[in-house]
Amino acid sequence: MSDADDARISDETLIGLTAAGDFAAFDRLVRRHQAAVYRFARAAAPSGEDVEEILGAAFLAARRGAARYRDEPSARTWLLALARRIIDRRYPRTNREADSTPLRDLVRSAARGSLEEHGAPVAAALEALAPEDREILTLCDREYFTADEASRVTGLSETAVRTRLHRARLRLLARLKEDGLGR
Amino acid sequence: MEDERIVAGLHCGEVQADLTENLDGRLSRERSLRIEEHLDECGECRRLNGEIAAAVRSLRELPDEPLAPEIEARLLDLLIAHD
Repeated sequence: MSDADDARISDETLIGLTAAGDFAAFDRLVRRHQAAVYRFARAAAPSGEDVEEILGAAFLAARRGAARYRDEPSARTWLLALARRIIDRRYPRTNREADSTPLRDLVRSAARGSLEEHGAPVAAALEALAPEDREILTLCDREYFTADEASRVTGLSETAVRTRLHRARLRLLARLKEDGLGR
Repeated sequence: MEDERIVAGLHCGEVQADLTENLDGRLSRERSLRIEEHLDECGECRRLNGEIAAAVRSLRELPDEPLAPEIEARLLDLLIAHD
């Protein structure tokens, strides 16, 4: 099958075929989304050691749950939400919701220095952030998810998603300005 | 960085809190215009706004790397083993 032919088959069709036991369809679905699920797991998991296990567990959960797939904005949000649930089980979120740093302190850190003077690579700056920040930036600024979609993945309210995104962007900016990062 | 200053009728602090919402086009037209008026007249907030926008832009320009072949192979093995 050519890439063009493959692209004509919707994710929803592939999920339906997966539910009916079609491994080839499931394999196609996996290939479409595996890089994004891996990227998300790498961002959201506190440890980088078990990202591959989370990736595998997410797709196994997708296969098992394909028959229950409905009312999702997209297959991508569904798959990332499955990965998020696996991460939550491995790393219970007792204190992961709390972000007590006053906004003014974040603004001050972000405003210090200039991007031109230092300019660390953005991938390194992202990597250096806390998983909560990496996760929300990956969802909103790499996957282009809406607040509603990011909310479905993370389980946060849309308001919390927006608040967290702003704070994460400020922390990213502060990191980008830190001298020597990633070089 | 100043956050108590009032420029164009808005505190810098409240503008700084709304920069992401404004960049993402989520504010009302009226609110957005007020923020833009503040940014026109406040160099510090304007600079911060420009830097956040630049950071977001560079994040969005990161390439979407494909999965490494060895990870892809191990994933496929796992899925086949559970078939």
